[in-house]
Amino acid sequence: MEEEKKVILDNLRKAIFDYNNDLAFQSAKKAVEKGIDPIEAMNVMTGAIREIGDAFGKGELWLPDLVGASDAMQSANPVLEEEMKRKGAHRESLGTVVAGTVFGDIHSIGKTMVTTLLTAAGFHVEDIGVNVKSEEFIEAIKKHDANLLAMSALMTTTMTEQEKVIESLKKAGIREKVKVMVGGAAVNDEFAENIGADGYDPTAPGAVEMAKKLLGKK
Amino acid sequence: MAIKGFVRNMKPLEVLTEEQLEAIHSATLHVLRKTGVRFDSKRALQLFEKNGCWVDYDNNRVRFPEGLVEECLRKAPSRFHVKARNPDNDMVWGGNTTYFQALSGTRTVDLDTWEPRTPTRKEYYEAITVLDGLENVSIIPWYTPWFGFQRIPPVMAMPEGLAGRLRNSSKFTCAGYSMGCEVFNIQMAQAVGAELRTMMAASPPLTFYEETIAAAFRIIKAGFVLLPTSGCVYGGTAPATIAGSLVSGNAEIIAGLVFAQLVRPGTRVIAQDFSFPQNMRTGAPAFGAIEISLHQAAFNQIWHRYGIPTDGGVCYPNSKKIDYQAGYEKAIIATIGSLSGTNTIWIQGAMYGELAFHPVQAVIDDDIAGMLGRFLEGIDVTDETLAVDVIDGVGPIPGHYLNRPHTRKWWKKEQFIPKSADRLTHPEWLKQGKKDCIALAREMYEEIRVSHMVNPPLTENQEQDIERILKEARDYYKKRGLISDTEWEEYKKDIASPGYPYR
Repeated sequence: MEEEKKVILDNLRKAIFDYNNDLAFQSAKKAVEKGIDPIEAMNVMTGAIREIGDAFGKGELWLPDLVGASDAMQSANPVLEEEMKRKGAHRESLGTVVAGTVFGDIHSIGKTMVTTLLTAAGFHVEDIGVNVKSEEFIEAIKKHDANLLAMSALMTTTMTEQEKVIESLKKAGIREKVKVMVGGAAVNDEFAENIGADGYDPTAPGAVEMAKKLLGKK
Repeated sequence: MAIKGFVRNMKPLEVLTEEQLEAIHSATLHVLRKTGVRFDSKRALQLFEKNGCWVDYDNNRVRFPEGLVEECLRKAPSRFHVKARNPDNDMVWGGNTTYFQALSGTRTVDLDTWEPRTPTRKEYYEAITVLDGLENVSIIPWYTPWFGFQRIPPVMAMPEGLAGRLRNSSKFTCAGYSMGCEVFNIQMAQAVGAELRTMMAASPPLTFYEETIAAAFRIIKAGFVLLPTSGCVYGGTAPATIAGSLVSGNAEIIAGLVFAQLVRPGTRVIAQDFSFPQNMRTGAPAFGAIEISLHQAAFNQIWHRYGIPTDGGVCYPNSKKIDYQAGYEKAIIATIGSLSGTNTIWIQGAMYGELAFHPVQAVIDDDIAGMLGRFLEGIDVTDETLAVDVIDGVGPIPGHYLNRPHTRKWWKKEQFIPKSADRLTHPEWLKQGKKDCIALAREMYEEIRVSHMVNPPLTENQEQDIERILKEARDYYKKRGLISDTEWEEYKKDIASPGYPYR
């Protein structure tokens, strides 16, 4: 059994490093079938993603590697999360992040980089996609009881949407409940401050450090 | 790390029409037959006469029959192999392959004041280490990195320079000639199992001096590669017109090539264009001028027709600093040289013509070489690169390609990634201290200087041979009074200094 468990967990790790979605999905299924603790399986994957994220931060790996590893993890996640729910298990995290690209903007690459590295660092991330409206952000924050909102906007024409979302948070009475991080090619410190965001960083690894700082985590 | 030649996968740029090319060729033959070329060597004159040239012994003038010229152009190989110290660094010259080679300067410069000064032996050796570590440098030629260094007598600059290159690099190298130093250069190369390329430089207009001819005899006898070259300056030592200077320069190079084939048929030669327009204010060559590119492109086209490997891409900038001017002068000349199909581009390291060199400049230039090399390789069109199945699998948004195995397999093959260029986003750039390519190249230079190891280093026996040959050269020149007592005192201190020879 121990031997079998080791093979399954090794394959989960290998799936991340080989960017192999099928192997990730099949290994997650086997882990559940064999009664392996889903949290342990999840930790193996986040450990691997962390190594990928560190190598990316150092310039040793590239965007396709980061996205490939993230995709592999996303292939296994629903299987393991389902099992966690069934068992009533809860995984410790640094915080719950709702992440999305704002309304009118369909760019996902920057967001994917940040969410991958946030996951690797130990955050629970709910990625709600692109072209996200204010009300959808608010609904997700409430639903997942999030304490951090990460918004992305690539274009100068959509970055102002980030300000609208912050205004909506205030109207909904939940602005104090979440810290807000903004990012995107056109955004800078001055803009972030002007629209009342709590944090901004130009790089994905920097965004992770910012998230930890905002939530008071080391 | 094996050296990298880039195979051109496209038609070369041609700047001459068929009629223009024929006209230049025909004018060259006419000059060779009517005006002829001066060879200051009785031995050479006799050889030419024996092979059907018309020789005027009173004026050392050789006039060449057309048939002999055509025959010798045919005899010279159009493609050949040359041996470097490390066989992984061997090269194949000719065809569609372009190599990049370092480019020398007389002195180094201070990167803060831009003032020139003579480098130390340690700087000389470290600069070679950096050139050995740069992936697009295939050749570290004569005078490179500098013409000499502190505390050595001028007459020892070439043997000491070659020893430095053999000790700190295993790439293909070259050696010049002066005061008979080719004798020692040949011995050193043979001691480490490498071949050399040595120039046979005409002294324009239309002259080869005795020393050049004597050196060429020795190089050909050793079986090494000869580079007949014309360093004419159009308006000064050649006609002011590009067409006229091509005729005059080609006549000189062809005369050198005929000489080589008569001494030893099948001698490997590379034709070199080392000409510049005259700067009509200072009298210096106009380095960095766009006419150089017209000249080189035409030269490459003509010598392709002759089927002889070419060295038609010398990229000297005129700028005294590592700056925008240096960048555009080098990049434009290197681009046109590459597109016109030369087999060699000289680029890494030179600043201000031949008068300065800096290894930090070489790091930046290595990126220009990589960019051009990538361009020359062209576009790979196969079922796999057309990616029809991948396009079908991804479909419209929300599909994307970043997560596709096809992307991971191909993007690094398709994209050249520069080492010293700033490619950050504006906010990242601000955060990382506003570093430009010069600052990044300085960091990279430092990294290579500290970490790069020559592969393989010389064996103990090879090192002893090099040192023995250097000693013979020192004794030879000292005996002939070419090293003064003052020079010798200083030189002795250098040889006796701790750490010599800084391997």
